Amino acid sequence: MTAMVKAEGVHKSFGPVEVLKGIDLEVKSGEVFCLIGPSGSGKSTFLRCINHLEKINAGRLYVDGELVGYRQKGDKLYELKDSEVARKRRDIGMVFQRFNLFPHMTAVENVMEAPVQVKGVSKGQARQRALELLDRVGLADKAGSYPSQLSGGQQQRVAIARALAMDPKLMLFDEPTSALDPELVGDVLDVMRDLAESGMTMIVVTHEMGFAREVGDSLVFMDGGVVVESGHPREVLTNPQHERTKSFLSKVL
Amino acid sequence: MTVDIDKTTGDTPPAGPEAIKAIPVRHYGRYISAVVAIALLAGVVYAFSQGKINWDAIPDYFFDDRILDGVGKTLLLTVLSMVIGIVGGVLLAVMRLSKNPVTSSIAWFYIWFFRGTPVLVQLIVWFNLGLVFEYINLGPFYKDEWSDFMTPFLTALLGLGLNEAAYMAEICRAGLLSVDEGQTEASHALGMSHTKTLRRIVIPQAMRVIVPPTGNEVINMLKTTSLVSVVQYPELLRAAQDIGQTSGAPAEMLFLAAAWYLLLTSVFSIGQYYLERYYARGSSRSLPATPFQKIKANLLSLSNRSASTGGTA
Repeated sequence: MTAMVKAEGVHKSFGPVEVLKGIDLEVKSGEVFCLIGPSGSGKSTFLRCINHLEKINAGRLYVDGELVGYRQKGDKLYELKDSEVARKRRDIGMVFQRFNLFPHMTAVENVMEAPVQVKGVSKGQARQRALELLDRVGLADKAGSYPSQLSGGQQQRVAIARALAMDPKLMLFDEPTSALDPELVGDVLDVMRDLAESGMTMIVVTHEMGFAREVGDSLVFMDGGVVVESGHPREVLTNPQHERTKSFLSKVL
Repeated sequence: MTVDIDKTTGDTPPAGPEAIKAIPVRHYGRYISAVVAIALLAGVVYAFSQGKINWDAIPDYFFDDRILDGVGKTLLLTVLSMVIGIVGGVLLAVMRLSKNPVTSSIAWFYIWFFRGTPVLVQLIVWFNLGLVFEYINLGPFYKDEWSDFMTPFLTALLGLGLNEAAYMAEICRAGLLSVDEGQTEASHALGMSHTKTLRRIVIPQAMRVIVPPTGNEVINMLKTTSLVSVVQYPELLRAAQDIGQTSGAPAEMLFLAAAWYLLLTSVFSIGQYYLERYYARGSSRSLPATPFQKIKANLLSLSNRSASTGGTA
């Protein structure tokens, strides 16, 4: 299996605060890769670096073998133009903690927007595909609803459908269930489980240890901007080696 | 109402709790203030009835050609000044929010200057620029004597429009900043460009914040056009004043002008209501009813009430 995402010594600072202090990891194609850790550990920041919503300060980050945000010629790095960055982002779907659906559009319009505006798909085709995707996430009957008329769980499932509409090769999930009422979490996790079974490469920042154990292929525990421990989810979660991992897991499990 | 109450109690099923019939609190303060207010109003009406006002002159001149021409010019000036104001305002807002320090400081300076000086002063300055400039020279495009170029209409348009642009810039900036950053991120994450993000995602949401104050600006502009009478432009107020001087009813003609302004601002307010309603879609779970829908609903509930007699009193 080839590496979908490869990080080599990735550093990221916000002003004087160093959030990522050298991250090395590899996400294989088709795997479900879970990132766990206490808040402020840098896991969301790392996720946002992958589609260049944040610029890294040092190290190298590759998606599907290509450098993120830069082009290398010889030993010089050239910043990519905005249009080139946008082109690369098409292949990476992202799901946010706070959904970020477009409130002035209905569910189906939210899903249609990027294919029509970015890929130039015809509206009829985009609508048909959007309805299929909404059906896949179990919301065929909510196509005409505005986000404010949907529950949090429904909104998040529309957001997943919206990301899938671009046919991404990689999906990033930034704490997709953290803003949801407990009884709505299951619906969203079910959709993610289906997606994992279909072979999608997924990087999931999550606090859902059950999901990580059951669906995840790899798991990384981050703390203080570094990777503390990594391995198969079942091993790390049941038999953590590091003190910090142990104390974190004892609090959340 | 007493009949209604009797009916209600009569129809209430015996199983339910007994409806409360209490003596309401008497608000004596309200009675007194109502009486005082009515007395003051009556005083004002009486005073006007004692004045030597030739009320007949108002309907006589209401649709006079000169007045209608003035109304037309007032509307034209309002619309064109607002177009300059909105286009300029959007441009200045984008300049101010840009990362380029030169454009953002120029926009800041423009807004500082045009908001910091009274619009009447600006109008008079535009009007008197002919004292310092003899010619206008735009290189190969246009060259003319200043007095031929700067007509009263252009003076009025530039004076009002450029001033308005400064206010619109601040309204647009506030609107753009009001849209959550997550919206831009989500749009970028989908591969949409900056321009598309602005046009498809940010601006439609900013409009909800921009439209209500812009409606106020339009209504304000309509009234501010009356200042233009000082630069010899024959809009509504000037037309009314001219007729007042020749017809011997100057005060009546001012009342007439006021009535026209009131009529126009009322029409604009109705338009604003529907525009706001359009941009509110998606932000609340159900749109507020239009006045027509409200009337319909009230009529329906009235007829329901008289049919079922339930829930009154």
